[in-house]
Amino acid sequence: MFESFLAGFELALRLDTMLFIGGGLFLGMFVGALPGFTTLMAMAILLPISFFLDPLLGIPFLIGVYKGGIYGGSIPAILVSMPGTGAAVATTFDGPALTKKGQGRKALEMALYASVAGDLSSDIITIAAIGPIAAVALLLGPPELAAILFLALIVISATSSGVFVKGLLMLAAGLFLAMIGQDPIGALSRFSFGITEIEAGIPLLPMLIGVFALPEIFVNIEKKASEIIKSEDLKVSGEPLRWHEFKACIRTIIRSTMIGTSIGLIPGVGQVVAAFMGYAAAKSSSPTPEEFGKGKLEGVAAAEAANNAVNGPTLVPLLTLGIPGDNLTVILVGAFIAQGLRPGPQLMEQQGPLVFAILIAMVIANILFLVIGKVCIPFFAKVVTIRKSFLLPLTLVFAFAGTWVFRAQPSDLAILVIFGAIGYICKKLHFDVTPMAMGFILGPTLEYSYGQSVILAQGELLNFLFIERPITAVILILTPLATFMMWRRSKRLQAQFITEK
Amino acid sequence: MAETQDTAAGPESGTRQWNFNTVAAVLFIILAVALFFIIPHQIDKPMIMLGISQTNLPPELFPQVVTACFFGLGVWYLFKSFSIKQSNDLLKLDREAWTNVIVTLVMMGIYVPLMVNLGFVVGSAIMVMAMSTYFGNRNYWLAGLISVAIPMLMFYVFRTVLVTELPPFPIDIYPLTHWSLL
Repeated sequence: MFESFLAGFELALRLDTMLFIGGGLFLGMFVGALPGFTTLMAMAILLPISFFLDPLLGIPFLIGVYKGGIYGGSIPAILVSMPGTGAAVATTFDGPALTKKGQGRKALEMALYASVAGDLSSDIITIAAIGPIAAVALLLGPPELAAILFLALIVISATSSGVFVKGLLMLAAGLFLAMIGQDPIGALSRFSFGITEIEAGIPLLPMLIGVFALPEIFVNIEKKASEIIKSEDLKVSGEPLRWHEFKACIRTIIRSTMIGTSIGLIPGVGQVVAAFMGYAAAKSSSPTPEEFGKGKLEGVAAAEAANNAVNGPTLVPLLTLGIPGDNLTVILVGAFIAQGLRPGPQLMEQQGPLVFAILIAMVIANILFLVIGKVCIPFFAKVVTIRKSFLLPLTLVFAFAGTWVFRAQPSDLAILVIFGAIGYICKKLHFDVTPMAMGFILGPTLEYSYGQSVILAQGELLNFLFIERPITAVILILTPLATFMMWRRSKRLQAQFITEK
Repeated sequence: MAETQDTAAGPESGTRQWNFNTVAAVLFIILAVALFFIIPHQIDKPMIMLGISQTNLPPELFPQVVTACFFGLGVWYLFKSFSIKQSNDLLKLDREAWTNVIVTLVMMGIYVPLMVNLGFVVGSAIMVMAMSTYFGNRNYWLAGLISVAIPMLMFYVFRTVLVTELPPFPIDIYPLTHWSLL
């Protein structure tokens, strides 16, 4: 494992890798700064770009978009009280008040430095944790993997937003959609209903862009009138952040980083809750809690450090077990699969240097994050004034272009539109599409592992599980308990988030 | 995690009311039953290879397990639906929102053959011009410039940087097809 880490270092230190990470960060911050446009949408639409690049360029590019997007939402949140992403809502408690006091620049710089600090710390923790977890994952056989996948899918459904049973139904729908095409064991054709275009299965990219990106566009177009923001309101004014002001918030940043890192390890919870929890913890620990909400730099630091600290740990289950922890990492799974790499225990074994190179690139990305953020803040501040009447059709054009280059099939465009409509309807009827996407991506692996387990059992499945593979039996028995505990914790965190909001 | 929160709440004054969740649950149950009957007809039969033993794993097994779970979850959802307090946000959409969404869907539907037959640049220019005008832009010169320039830039970037093809007409002229000369 250590040799893989060293080899990864060598792979990561490439100029082109840095350029693409920088490009991803810039695009992520750009989209994050646009209210109504989410990081998820940006990643879904930019996913096709990663297909045509070397894995060491494409995947760090998307990770750059991920990191940049989470931070970018804080810019309009601070300047005009309009969070660019959900993760920046907690930043609106103190950011706009600081802007009104003429300390907008300080707030923006604090958001940047806290984001970088939180992200960097959690990335280092991720690198340290991934080796031991990967070593354990290599010991897993098909029955254990099937059981873990089953547990992960159930837990993700339990912790997704909305009602548990609706999450499970979406998961089952995703598993069914994954069965269209060919079965992973015997390669038998199934459920194509005579439609040639789906005989090889529903293509991943149009489906992901359709369910994650298009619904956001539809929500944005519901109202024609765009919010016109005066560009004078978006001027970055005031003095820069001083070292002693940053130093005063270091303890808060460390606390928020720990909170964000812990939450990143829980599937389905995410940046939004982390930001609120970080803010709430900072306020309750402060000797002057009454100052929070009235323009306190510590409030901005707490929220931003926490929401960015989630980024690294969400990759741990993804890279070691192939289980995405949230909807953003589902997109990353799509990028890996498009490169012919299946995240999971085998990936660490066969492509260890590549995996570590990606993780090290993430750490290096934080330096670029600092530079790009510092230089480009005035530019991103103006991004909010771009007219939606242009932005929305151009986003659609990009989504269609990205879908087209995947296979150059008109049917992919039709699938994109169909899943876009499905995603929009699901959004309006409070069905979370994340479990469906998870089921779609992990379904073939689950079915394959399940099938291998049944074959290995040779007709005596219970005997096989309880006597020959006791770990599998334990995981299956503990699944309902673990699901209940994660569901309860997730709902408690969400309830606290509502209270703070 | 989505930013909006939905919670299941208790029934109102003990009465069970049909709502969109109930209708959805019934549809899921019907779908599960239909799938169960469809499964044997929609899975190819495995080839029998003499001298090679089969895996003893029926190909219908996993689909049947998923369908059974679908049915069970549908029934659970049906019972749960009477106590879920969620609003049907589709019904809350006003006429403007419905019109905008439907118009956009239609434009997307038209964009597909435009892009495939007229090429990416022309198809996209028409789409961007039409959509920006529909959504309130009245600066036609700016719209014209953006609707041509941005797709052309995208076409060039996809072709040269990513080395991928977008539908080419009419940008299929010598300098751009032989991009190494640029």
